[in-house]
Amino acid sequence: MFLEQLTGNLVQGIVLGAVYGMATMGLSLIFGVLKVVNVGHGAFIMVGAFTTLWLFNALGINPIIAVPIAFVIGMGLGFIFYYTTMQRLIKAPELATLLATFSIGILLEEIVKLTFGSEFRGYNWVVGKINIGVTVLPMSKLYACIGSMIIALLLYLWFKKTRAGSAVRSVVEDSEGARVCGVNVGGAYALSFALGIGLTVASGVLLTMFIPVGINPYMGGGYTLKAFVIAVLGGLSSPYGAFFGGLAFGLIENGSYTLFALIPGVEPFALTRFLSFVVLLVILLIKPTGLLSSK
Amino acid sequence: MKKEITKYYPLIPVFTAYLFLFLIGKNISGMWQLVAMLLFYCALGQAFNIFLGMTGYVDFGYVAFMGVGTYGMALAITKLAHIEGLGIGIIIIGFILALLMSTLLSMAVGAVALRLRGAYFAIATIGVNEGFRFLIEGARIWNGSEGLIFTAQLNEILGRNAASALMTFWADIIVLIIAALAAFVTLFYMRSKIGYALTALREDEDAAKVMGINVTKYKIIAFITSACFAGLVGATSWALKTPYVFPPEVFEIHYTIEAIIIVLLGGAGTLLGPVAGGLIYGISKYYLSIFLPGFQLLIFAPIIIIIIVLFPEGVVGMLKYRLKDSALARFII
Repeated sequence: MFLEQLTGNLVQGIVLGAVYGMATMGLSLIFGVLKVVNVGHGAFIMVGAFTTLWLFNALGINPIIAVPIAFVIGMGLGFIFYYTTMQRLIKAPELATLLATFSIGILLEEIVKLTFGSEFRGYNWVVGKINIGVTVLPMSKLYACIGSMIIALLLYLWFKKTRAGSAVRSVVEDSEGARVCGVNVGGAYALSFALGIGLTVASGVLLTMFIPVGINPYMGGGYTLKAFVIAVLGGLSSPYGAFFGGLAFGLIENGSYTLFALIPGVEPFALTRFLSFVVLLVILLIKPTGLLSSK
Repeated sequence: MKKEITKYYPLIPVFTAYLFLFLIGKNISGMWQLVAMLLFYCALGQAFNIFLGMTGYVDFGYVAFMGVGTYGMALAITKLAHIEGLGIGIIIIGFILALLMSTLLSMAVGAVALRLRGAYFAIATIGVNEGFRFLIEGARIWNGSEGLIFTAQLNEILGRNAASALMTFWADIIVLIIAALAAFVTLFYMRSKIGYALTALREDEDAAKVMGINVTKYKIIAFITSACFAGLVGATSWALKTPYVFPPEVFEIHYTIEAIIIVLLGGAGTLLGPVAGGLIYGISKYYLSIFLPGFQLLIFAPIIIIIIVLFPEGVVGMLKYRLKDSALARFII
C-alpha cells in the first residue's frame, strides 16, 4: 500500500520535475553566458502564469498555444531589461547585478499586482485524466511534461545546429577569442538574456497546469528558491544540467513528501520546502559545480 | 590622546542626527510614530551595513537573524513568565537569548555560506529565511505556524502601565541605543585592522588573500556582528513593540529588501550612509503610504535600479566625494 503510494508519487514527481527542469533552463542559460544570477527569476515565471490566465479567461486561448505567445513576450521583456539595465552592469561587481535583477523582479510583481490584484486566481481547463496503473495523471500535466521535453530538445538543437547557437557557445568558452573571430559578443549576451527570460516566461505557462488556482503576483518567490536548488543540482551554468536537475528535484520533493507524511505531528509540506533548502546548502558545500558535472 | 579622539569625529553627525530625531519625536506631538519608524530603519541599515557595506557580499536571508532575535525575546518572556520576581530582568534575559540565537544561526549559516563567493553566496543565503521559517512551521518548533503571543505575560510581569510604556516609548529608545551602538561598532571596525582587511577583500578578495589576510576570519566577524545587531533590532522593534510573533511575518524577505535599499541609498560601506538612507527611505515611505498607499514597492524598485546604474556610491558616497578637500571631510565617512 505504502510502496504503491510512493511509486505513484514518484511518477508524479518525474512529470513535475520535467517542468521544473524546463523552468530552470533560463536561469542556467543566463548564468552560463552572462555570469549573472537572475534573482528575479520567479517573477518571470509569474508573468508566464498571468499570460496564460489572461489568454485563457479573456480570449479563450488554449494554454498550449499560450506557450509560444509567452515565449515571445518573455523575449521582448528580456531585450528591454537587457538594453536598459543589464548591459551597463555586465562589468560591474556582482552586488550590482544581483540587486538589479532582484529589483526587476519586484517591479514586475508590483505592476502585475496593480493590473490584476493580489488575490489568488486560476482557470479551468478541462482535458480529462489518464490512468497509468500506479497513479491517475491529469492530461494537462502530461501535456506540460511533454511540452517541457520538446522545448528542452529544441534548445539543445538550437545550440548545436544554428549559427547563433554556436556564437553563444563560443562566447561562453572565451568571449575575447569569440570577439576576435568576429562574433558580436554584445549581441550574443542580449540574445542569451532574452532567450533565458523567454524560456522562463514560457515555463510559467506550463507550471500553471500544476497549480490551477495558485496564480498570484507573489507566487514566484517559491519558484526562485526551487530554481536555485535545481540549477545548483545541475551545475548552475548548464541548461541541460538544469533539466536533469529538475527531474531529480521533482523526485526528491515528492518522495520526501510521502516520507514526511508518515511522521505524526508535523506539516509535511513545510518540511519538504525546508529540505530543498538543506539540499541546496549541502550541494553548495560539497560540490558547487553540480552533482551532474564531471568537473 | 588627541589623535584617539579625532578618530571618532565622524560619529558626531551620526549622533547629532539621532539626537535631533529624539528631540523632534519628544517635543512635537504626533511625531513619535514617524520617529520610531525612522529609528527602526536607521538601526536596520546601520546593522546591515556592517556586513553588506563592508564586505560587498549580498545576504538575501538577512531578515532571518531579526526573526530569531524576535523569537529569542518571545521565548524568554513566554517560558520564564511563571518565575516570580524577575521583573525587568526578563527583558535582559530576552536580549541575551536574542543575541545568543542570532549568533548561533549566523555561525551556522556563515560556516557554510561564507566559504562561497559572490553569486554562490547570494544563492546560499536567499533560502535562509524561507528555510528557517519552514523548519519552524513544518516541525512545529516553538508552537509552529500558530506563533507565540505574549501580551498577557508582559502585562502580568511589568504591570499594565509599564508594559504599555515599554511598547510605545522605551522600545524605541532601545532601538535608538542599538542604532548608535551599531554606528560606533562600524566606526571602530573601520578604524581597526578589521576595517582595512574588509576593504581589501571587498576590492579584490584574491589579492587580499595573497597579501596574507585571513579573509574568512574577517568575513565571519562582520557577518556575526551584523547578525547580532539584527537580532537585537528584531527583539526590540518586533517582540517588544508588538508582543507576538508569527513565522511568516518575521521571516518576510520584504525587510531584507528594505535594508538593502537603505544601505544602497545612503552609500554602502559609509558610516553616515545608513542614517541618510534610513531617513530618506523612512520619510518617503511614510508619506507615500499616506498619499499613494500600496505603491511603495512599485516606486522603490525602479529607484534601486537607477541608483545601481547611475549612482552606485549613494548619497553619502557622493557627498564624501564633493567634500573631499574641505574642512568637513573628516566628519563624513
